Amino acid sequence: MAVLEVRDMSIRFGGLQALENVSIDVPEWEIVGLIGPNGAGKTTLFNCIMGLYSPNSGKVAYRDHDISLLPTHRKVALGIGRTFQNIGLVKELTVLENYLLAQHARIGYGPFSGMFGMPNTWFAERRARASAMEVLDFLGLAHLAHSRLGGLPYGTLKLIEIGSVLATDPDVILLDEPSSGMGPDEAHSFGEQLLKLRQTLNLTVLMIEHHVPLVTAVCDYVYCMNFGQILTHGKPAEVASHPEVVAAYLGGEIEVDHPKEVEDATS
Amino acid sequence: MTATDIAPPVDESTVVLPAVKEPTRWRPNTRGWAIRIAVIAALVIVLGVRLATLGGLWADHISQAVIFAIIGLSLNVILGYTGQVSLGHHAFVGLAAFVAAHHITERAGCLPEEGCQYAPMGGFAVAVGLAILSGIIASGLLGIVALRIKGLYLALITLTYGFFAVNSIFEIPSLTRGGAGMPAPRPKLLITDHRFMVFCLAALAVCLFIDWRFLASRIGRAVLAVKNSEAVAASYAVNVTAYKLMAFMLSGAFAGLAGALFAYRRQIVVSNDFRFESALLWVLMVVVGGLGKRTGVVIGSMFFALFPYLIDLVTPLSDFLANLDRDPEEFTLVIGPALALITMIISPGGIAEQIRPITNWLAGNRFTMHPDGGSHHKPSLLAKLRNRSAPAAEESS
Repeated sequence: MAVLEVRDMSIRFGGLQALENVSIDVPEWEIVGLIGPNGAGKTTLFNCIMGLYSPNSGKVAYRDHDISLLPTHRKVALGIGRTFQNIGLVKELTVLENYLLAQHARIGYGPFSGMFGMPNTWFAERRARASAMEVLDFLGLAHLAHSRLGGLPYGTLKLIEIGSVLATDPDVILLDEPSSGMGPDEAHSFGEQLLKLRQTLNLTVLMIEHHVPLVTAVCDYVYCMNFGQILTHGKPAEVASHPEVVAAYLGGEIEVDHPKEVEDATS
Repeated sequence: MTATDIAPPVDESTVVLPAVKEPTRWRPNTRGWAIRIAVIAALVIVLGVRLATLGGLWADHISQAVIFAIIGLSLNVILGYTGQVSLGHHAFVGLAAFVAAHHITERAGCLPEEGCQYAPMGGFAVAVGLAILSGIIASGLLGIVALRIKGLYLALITLTYGFFAVNSIFEIPSLTRGGAGMPAPRPKLLITDHRFMVFCLAALAVCLFIDWRFLASRIGRAVLAVKNSEAVAASYAVNVTAYKLMAFMLSGAFAGLAGALFAYRRQIVVSNDFRFESALLWVLMVVVGGLGKRTGVVIGSMFFALFPYLIDLVTPLSDFLANLDRDPEEFTLVIGPALALITMIISPGGIAEQIRPITNWLAGNRFTMHPDGGSHHKPSLLAKLRNRSAPAAEESS
């Protein structure tokens, strides 16, 4: 059973068909990669899944429940976490406070008891701080708990952001270019960290990634997008050597009349 | 390493993470605490005694300062926490003031022309409650607009909202009694200016507490996240619509309370009290105080309220103004913008930033400008270097 299913997603911005009949399956406990050149519609697909954009047609199902019409915050509360390409953290808050923010749905006391400082809110805050420290320690970032985000390097911020998504208590996480701004070594160690995360936290991952060695090392299945369509999909090694994918990345002749199965091309 | 040589999922119950402590904070030693507590106690005693022995006139001035402080906190929620601009706050405060006065005279039946001297206590409580409610509703309506419109256009809408209220709602004779004004007699318990000042101070304390818990709880974090980016906030399971409205309604509640106090301080409400100039001055005092910083906002607001009376204490200045045939209050509209300009150019953090070493020190941190009180240990440069080049260091030693 797929944790996340996207069926025939289409969205049009004026004259631009940003997504056209995109269907994706993210099965339980798999790391699914989403590759494609710039402007292929990968981030748009994420925004449609999360409900930040309202697609013209298409459905999103989470564990066989149709969640197409749920608002974004409800989807997140269900267990779908998401990171952003250009770091989705609140700059005014410290790292720890960002992790408290991420636990918004879990903390869950009402606005009035919060504003009037009821005792239960103090205990809830203390518990939330403890869980935030747990996540920070898990990622080896505990010493940064009280740092402001301003002075931290980009790669660290990317990792902090992934941690903050973990703090939302997700079941499946959507990562938008997690290794951007990292060097090859950092990307490699990030890949190991991701596998460790999946193993200990039973996460399912859908990630947009450009770093091909990372994709081949980590992903179980890869979709390649171009011009708002799924160009091809299959095992990482097969997709990476697929002629259409190579053409799309290197700017050769592109023939995308209809999406083809990888198996057809390789066999 | 490939994905295939990974072990199957681990049962959740077997994963036991050790409890992790937060990085240690710097805290003063016993002597440091003793000095701080002594200073705070001395401040409280001196201020308390001074306020307790205050004459009626200055008690009234302090009441006005406290009302300005509550208005400042109200604006601070919109300006500082949601990052929007409200130029129509005189409408919220004015509406609440009229609602409070109207309830006492027309509903609770305490008409001064019929010889009613003291408002009934129950009627007074209901009037204050209704004033807060009217503030919440008026500001909530603005919040609904703010769901779709932001920044400059929202500022423009609040501006027109204020003008609209002044020229329509404040012209309803049954609510405002036209130019003569609506009387708002106080209950017997608060009849002296001194007692009323204490009441105002208590109201300010409640507002400060709510504001503190608002920002320290999940509610305030959500509002700050929405200000930062709505998409990011939604990705942290924050209901953007609800929290925007909540912030505007909290601001309205504070404005409503301030309006009620405004009405009972003067004991008569005249629509001329609520003009665009006052809304502008309120925005300036929040900026000068320091956006988003409640201590600074309270100090800035009180300074703006007391400024005309402080000028009176300086004889050369008051003589100068008297020669010009000008009111000290008009002088506030000259000095206020100048202060705001200086704030924005020299220290955007306002008064809050200027006094930060003092507030940090009093709160049990170091005497420092650092926003977190500099209380968290930073690794020393040496420790950092050693950490980075650990293998090399081992070889050389």
